[in-house]
Amino acid sequence: MGNLTPLFNDEFTDLPLKRALAQVLKKRDAGAKVVGAYCSYAPVELIWAMGGVPAVLCAFSNAAIPKAEETLPANLCPLIKSSYGFIELKTCPFFEVTDAVVGETTCDGKKKMFELIAEKRPLHVLDLPQCPTNEGAAAYWRHSINGFKTFLEKSFDTSISEAALEQAIQETNRKNRLVEQILGFGAHRPAVITWQEMYDVTSYAMVTGGSEAIEKLQEILAILTERREKKMFTSPEGTKRVLLTGCPVGGDVLKVLKLVDEEGAAIVGLDSCTGLKAYAGRIEEKSGDPLLAIAQRYLQIPCACMTPNLRRMEVLKEQVDLLKPDLVIDLVLQACHTYNVEAVKVESLVRNELGTNYLKIVTDFSSQDVGQLKTRIGAALEMC
Amino acid sequence: MGGCINIAGIDIGSRSIEFVIMDAETLQVTERLRRETSIDLAAQLRELKENYRWNGITSTGYGRFLSQKVLGGEAATEIKAYATAAHHYHRDIETVIDLGGQDTKVLSLDRRSGQLLKFEMNDKCSAGTGKFFEMMAATLGLSLDELVAAAQRGSRSFEINSTCTVFAESEVISLLTSGRSVEDIARAVHESLLVKLVSLLSRIITTETRSVLFVGGGAKNGTLVQFLADALSREVVVPEYPDFFGAYGAALVAKKSLIQA
Repeated sequence: MGNLTPLFNDEFTDLPLKRALAQVLKKRDAGAKVVGAYCSYAPVELIWAMGGVPAVLCAFSNAAIPKAEETLPANLCPLIKSSYGFIELKTCPFFEVTDAVVGETTCDGKKKMFELIAEKRPLHVLDLPQCPTNEGAAAYWRHSINGFKTFLEKSFDTSISEAALEQAIQETNRKNRLVEQILGFGAHRPAVITWQEMYDVTSYAMVTGGSEAIEKLQEILAILTERREKKMFTSPEGTKRVLLTGCPVGGDVLKVLKLVDEEGAAIVGLDSCTGLKAYAGRIEEKSGDPLLAIAQRYLQIPCACMTPNLRRMEVLKEQVDLLKPDLVIDLVLQACHTYNVEAVKVESLVRNELGTNYLKIVTDFSSQDVGQLKTRIGAALEMC
Repeated sequence: MGGCINIAGIDIGSRSIEFVIMDAETLQVTERLRRETSIDLAAQLRELKENYRWNGITSTGYGRFLSQKVLGGEAATEIKAYATAAHHYHRDIETVIDLGGQDTKVLSLDRRSGQLLKFEMNDKCSAGTGKFFEMMAATLGLSLDELVAAAQRGSRSFEINSTCTVFAESEVISLLTSGRSVEDIARAVHESLLVKLVSLLSRIITTETRSVLFVGGGAKNGTLVQFLADALSREVVVPEYPDFFGAYGAALVAKKSLIQA
């Protein structure tokens, strides 16, 4: 396993967020405006279309939480607390280089947190309809996205043309297809891609656009194809396979993924906003109404904030069929009520319909529960 | 020891260590030791290694990895150990509850194969665990045995509402200062823990569940066992040495590995 060609041969080995930051800074140095985003629902095509670059502001470090708890309640989602704490400490390298910030009304904690940071950067909050199948949802969401377009145009004294949007849409589709193909290598048995590599790819692709992203992702695809052909595996034959679903992961909550490694299993799929979710859909090309096309694609993101969130169950079924995991781990961040409650339906689907073992974990960014998590994950894998 | 083959199991919990040696053939227990878990766990383990001999050993509990390092053999989660012991000793029971020092677990087993089907654990909080009893007893100035005996005499006249052990302590103190009897408070302490056990069990048991196997140190509390049986309207079975159940299971896991090797 040690002589595998790395997917990224750079100085950022094991530092996917530093690599992402370097990408953002490179664009910024070339004159691009940096627009920070907190969510997969942020329609980044508008940012690309104005020649800007998106930066992901969701934080996953426990270090910033004590600062946040000076202001925010302790019983709040750690992702919100961490992101806010970094802003207060002025130590989030991504937030510090943003020229504007886009928020969205996915969850209550976040939307109220945005009010607290509104003075710090030009901020636009997109009103996201949460009943995606209701009549008028897409039209309203298009309206919201148009408001974001106006905000960008006014803030940066620019105009975003339909042609530029159309180009951004096509680039997103090419990029998403490639990322999806790369993550699809998780289906190989034994594995030819690690979760760290998947996370490297999704973190990189989030902040990299145009031909640069396409070329790099094609290069990665070639490396993985070579691994598959030469039978160069990232874990031994017979290794138990885990699909991770639920809330986004990164930083300190990677403790869960590391525990899976420690128990000798392999994570073969990341079904979350830091994995497949942001790349799974396609935007209709040459539709004549690029904003509506964008709106329709983003409304298909199967976040638990949606009701009913039928698409999540469909995607999960597709992922289980493709990756054939022995265990599905449903990771819920503390106080994320929507994912926590939706776990009831996810468990029922995974256990009863898909016949796969299921483990729900509710955790935060601290290390206080590592011993208990190790027992839970170990026992769940013993069950397989 | 002669020519007989011995298997050992050790369960290192947050409060205590249980260690057993069995004859691999007859599964007769030849040694049964219990120690408080000390700060220098490695020294305790080395002492065991010097004084006892075995052909195969499995470690379980929170200290299983350190134990495996010192004693050799393999490590298994306490969930696997309980499932293995339950299937061996109580093949007809498919639901197991373990009340340990710092966590509580509920297991669902396939009666025929012994395969673990599902498990639930308390959240990262000591409210539904043995530690809760220890703290409440200390607050009332009682030993654990006295707390249990007092609860038998008490009547069910009020509830302890705090779900947190620390807050429950202050609630108990205010109940004491308001003139409630120690017996009634001891009863309420039991009821409070009972609610959590029943809630955890309700995620596992079905209408077909006839009996529940209650293991771990908490199962030595006869008052709680009786309350649990009443609350569930089901038979609650407690093995002879409920606190050794994890160690028995670990030894049985060791036997399986010995056979496979």
